[in-house]
Order: sequence, then C-alpha cells, then structure tokens
Amino acid sequence: MTWLAFILILVALVAFVAGQLFLKRAMESSTATGLRDHKVIFFLCSGVLSMTIHFFVTLGLLAHLDLSYVYPFQGLSVIIISLAAAIVLREKLTVQLTIGALLISAGIILVSLS
Amino acid sequence: MRDRPSGVANPWLQLWLSVVCVLIYELLQKRGATETANLSESWSWTGITALASPLVWLAMVLMIISLLSWLYVLRYIPLSIAFPLSRVVDVLIPLSCWLILGEHISPRRWLGISLVVIGLALVAKPVARLEEKL
Repeated sequence: MTWLAFILILVALVAFVAGQLFLKRAMESSTATGLRDHKVIFFLCSGVLSMTIHFFVTLGLLAHLDLSYVYPFQGLSVIIISLAAAIVLREKLTVQLTIGALLISAGIILVSLS
Repeated sequence: MRDRPSGVANPWLQLWLSVVCVLIYELLQKRGATETANLSESWSWTGITALASPLVWLAMVLMIISLLSWLYVLRYIPLSIAFPLSRVVDVLIPLSCWLILGEHISPRRWLGISLVVIGLALVAKPVARLEEKL
C-alpha cells in the first residue's frame, strides 16, 4: 500500500511538472506561429493530457490518504518546475530566484504538514 | 522579457486574475462539497454528489477562467517566475480559511506561511526592478 502510494504520488508530481512545461512550450511557440500551428496543438494536447492524469491520480490518492500527506509533495513542484524550466526551457535561473523557489516549497510543505 | 500589452491584457494582471479565481473556486468547492456530503452515503466519496450544489458549478466556471488566464500568462512570463508567484494562493487560501471560514491556524502553519511570503518577495523583487526599466 505505501509502495503503491509512493509511486502514485511520484506519477502525479511528474505529470504536473510535465504538464506545466508542455503548456509553457505551447504558449511560447504560439507567439510566433499562432494557435493553429501543429506544434502548438501537439504541446497543448500533451499539456492537457498530463494535467488530466495529474488530476485523476491526485483524486485517487486523496480518496485513500489525508490531504496533509499528499499536499507536501505538491509543494515540491515549485522548486522542481523552476529547475526544469531552467534545464528544459533554458530559462535564466538566478540565485535569488532559486532561493525564493526553495523557500516557497519549504513553506508550502510546512503549511500542509500542520 | 517580450514586449507586453498593457491594460486588461497585461500578463501580470492576468496572473492575479488567475490566482484570485483559484482562491475563490477552492473556497466554493469546499462549501459545495460540505453542503452536499450527506446527500448520498454511498456516492459522496466519488465527488459526484457535489454537482448538486450550484456553488460547485460556479467553481468550475472559475476554474476554466483561471486556466485561460494562466495560458495567457505563460505566453509572456518565464515559467520559473510565473509558477512560483502563482503559489501565492498557498498563502491566500489558509488566510481566507482563517478570516472567512473561521478555521484555526497552528504556529507551525504561520511559520510556513511566512516562509512562502519571503520566497515570493525574493522571486518578485527582480521582476519589479525589470518592470521599472521598461
């Protein structure tokens, strides 16, 4: 049970991060090509699909586990998304931004644990 | 950062709009789900009974608006800035639960809230400087 829960939490987190990256990539390409471009549609659909997976896996987790157990992992998404945006989307990540993202993640984890 | 439109089309304003929509729909969902929890013992855990509440339908409309304004935000603002800033909801939700729903906030939770606020300030500060120059 704990094994399964851990894997599902990981799946939900990865799907959420991937979803945000896909949506960002879609909207970024759309500024040059408009919304009807094949690449934009592909990234938008992938983003929505990832978010849908995240949504249902999270619902399933919440049906069995407390919110205070599931939500702290969501808090991690802030720092993970910032790092992923720097690596995958080549955004500029300053020290100040990284510390800020780390504090927000830590804060969300504290809020949801208590 | 790319040239950005002003007025209603300002992406920073849209980021706020998205955040406020998320805040309101979370509160509406909570109200709606609580109101309808005792409608059917066996169905309540699926969340389907919540559809009986008009508040939940209003929440869904707000959810769609928040998604659209979020997509608009992503057109102009880097994800590593926009996403951390969007988590201001994690401060606003406990504060509204405290103010509106009268829920209790533990000392540890206050500490977490202040950490998020400091983190938000760190992320927002270079942005404010950047915007001044434009």
